[in-house]
Amino acid sequence: MEGFIDLVMEPIKEVFIKFRLFLPNFLAMLTIVVLGLFLAWITKKILSKVLNVLRFDSWCDKTSITAMMRKGDIWTKPSDVLVSAIFWLFTIVSVMVGFSALNIHAINNLVTQFFLYLPSALSAVLILLIGYMVSGFLSRAALIAAVNGGLSYAKFLANAVRLLLAVLFFAMALEQLNVAPNIVVSAFTIIFGGIVIALAISFGIAGIETAKKIIEGKEAEPGNDKKGDVEHI
Amino acid sequence: MNSSEIDIVVGIPSYNNARTIGHVVSAVDAGLAKYFPDKKAVIVNSDGGSKDGTSEIVKNAVIDRNALLLKHPLSMAHRITTPYHGIPGKGSAIRTIFTNAVDMGADACAIVDSDLRSITPEWIELLLKPVLSGTFDFVAPLYARHKFDGTITNSIVYPMTRALYGKKIRQPIGGEFGFSRRLMEHYLNQDVWGTDVARFGIDIWMTTEAIANGFNICQAFLGAKIHDPKDPGSDLSDMLVQVVGSLFELTERHYDVWKTINSVEEVETFGFKYYVALDHIKVDVSRMLRTFREGLKNLQEIWIEIIGSGDFNELRMQSAAADAEFRFSPELWARIVYDFALAYKKRKLPPQQLIKSLMPLYLGKTASFVMDVDDKSQTEAEAEIEKLCLQFEKTKYHLANGWK
Repeated sequence: MEGFIDLVMEPIKEVFIKFRLFLPNFLAMLTIVVLGLFLAWITKKILSKVLNVLRFDSWCDKTSITAMMRKGDIWTKPSDVLVSAIFWLFTIVSVMVGFSALNIHAINNLVTQFFLYLPSALSAVLILLIGYMVSGFLSRAALIAAVNGGLSYAKFLANAVRLLLAVLFFAMALEQLNVAPNIVVSAFTIIFGGIVIALAISFGIAGIETAKKIIEGKEAEPGNDKKGDVEHI
Repeated sequence: MNSSEIDIVVGIPSYNNARTIGHVVSAVDAGLAKYFPDKKAVIVNSDGGSKDGTSEIVKNAVIDRNALLLKHPLSMAHRITTPYHGIPGKGSAIRTIFTNAVDMGADACAIVDSDLRSITPEWIELLLKPVLSGTFDFVAPLYARHKFDGTITNSIVYPMTRALYGKKIRQPIGGEFGFSRRLMEHYLNQDVWGTDVARFGIDIWMTTEAIANGFNICQAFLGAKIHDPKDPGSDLSDMLVQVVGSLFELTERHYDVWKTINSVEEVETFGFKYYVALDHIKVDVSRMLRTFREGLKNLQEIWIEIIGSGDFNELRMQSAAADAEFRFSPELWARIVYDFALAYKKRKLPPQQLIKSLMPLYLGKTASFVMDVDDKSQTEAEAEIEKLCLQFEKTKYHLANGWK
C-alpha cells in the first residue's frame, strides 16, 4: 500500500518541486508584463500630453503629414496614431520579454525568433501603412479625375484602383515576411493579371456605349470646342 | 545697340503662335512708332521652343507706315527673340522678359499675349502711358468680353481679389499688363518662379503682389479681347489648379494685408469705354450640370469635410431641381470658395486634389450663371457679377474667422 502511495505522491511531489522552481520565473514574468503594461500606459499618457504641449497635430498639419494620412483615409489625429503605435509596441515587447523570463526552452526559442522577426514584421507593417496611404491617395485622384471627366463609373474606377494597389502592397508585405515567397509572387501575378483581364473584359462588354461616347466625344471636341463652351479665363 | 538707352520693352511670350504673332508684333511696332516715336524701344519675344516658325515671323513682321499715317520714329524698335528657361509656361517667359527689361534699364514694360487677334496700336499706348507718366506702377487691362467669357475670373478670381484686397481690378488675370521698373525689380526678387506662378498662375500673382505691396495701380480699357481658340488639350481642371492654387497661396501669404481691409475702392481707369457686339456663345449647360451632379454623388465625403454638412445639404436640395430650375446662390458660392481657401490653408487635402474637387462645383455655379443671364444684356450680366462681388465682401468674415 505504501508503495502505491509513494507511486502516486512521487509525480505530485515532482510537479510541486517543478512548480516551486517555476514559480519565481512565473512571478518574474507577471511582474515584467505588469510593469511593461504600466510603463506602456504611463508612456501613453505622458507622450499624449507632451505631443499636445508641443502642438504635434498642428506641426503635422503644416508639414502635410495629416494630409498624407487623410489621403490614406486615416481620419484619427496624428498624435493619437503615434501614441497608440508606441503603446502597442511597448505592450508587445513587454509580453515577449515577460515570456522569456519563464525560461522555457520552446518559449525562449519563440521569443528569440520573435525578436529576429521583428525588423521584417515592422517593415511589413510599414509597407502596409504606405500602401494604405498610397492606394487612398491614388484612388481619390482617380475618383476626382473621373468625376471631372464626367464619367458615370467614377466610384467603380476609384475602387478598382484601390483594390489593385491593395493587392500589390499586400503581396509586397507577405514577401517581406518571407511567407512562402514563391507562392506569393505567383499568386500575386495570377491575381493581378486576372484583375486586369477581368477589368478589360468587363469594360469591353459592359462599357461599349461608354467607350463609344468617349471616342465620339473626343472626335467631336475640336469642332464643338469653340461653339459649345465658354472661355474660363 | 546700347542697352542703357532703352526706355520701353514690350514683351510677347509665345509658344507655337505662328498664326497670330505677326499681327501682334505689327500692332506693337505700330503702337510704339505712333505713340512713343521719341523713345527707344525693344520688342522681346520670349519663346518656349516653338516649332512652327514663330520666331521667324517675329523677326520678319512688317508694318506699312504710310498706310497707318505714322511719323517716322527717331529709331525703329529692335526685336529680340529669346528662349526662356525654367518650368515651361507663361510665367517663365515673363520672367525672361522682366530680366531683359531690367538689364536694359527700361523705365516701362508692357506684356501682350501672342494669340491676340484684336490687338491694336492703341493698346500699347494705354498700357505704357500711365507708367511713363510716373504715376502708376501697374496697369491692368479692362476688356469688353462676352458675358459668358472669363468665368473663372468672374466667379472666383475677381470677387475674391476685390473682397480681400479692396481694389476693383476687373480683370486680375487678363493677360496684358503694363509695369514700372521698380515693380519688375520687385517681381524678380521674389522666390516663386519654381511654383505654379511660372505657369497659368503668373497673372493673378503679378496683380496681387502689386496690390498687396502698395504699388500704384490703374486699369486701361482696351476694347474687345479676341484671341485664337485655346489648345483643346489644355485641361480645365489644370487651369483651375494653377489659377485658384496661386490665388489661395497668395491669400495665405498676404493674410496680414487682407485681414485689415474692410472697404473696396475704385481704381483709376484710362481709355475710352465703348460697347462691342460680340458673337453669341452657345453653352452646353446640361454637360456642366451632369459633372456637378456626378460630383455630388461621388465626392460627398470630400465636400462635407471641406464645406460642412449644412452647405452640402443645401447643394443636394438644389441639385434635385430640374436643369432649367437649378440655381447656385451667391451666398452659398461665396461660402464655398472661402471654405476651399480655408481647407487649402489647413492642408485638409493635397492642394491639387483639393482644387480639382472644386471643379464640379465651379461648373455648377457657371451653369447657374449662364442660365441666369442668358436673356440678359451685357450690363445686366455685369450687375449679377457685382451682386456676387458684394456677397464675397459681406461673407469675408467667414474666411477671416476661420483663418485665426
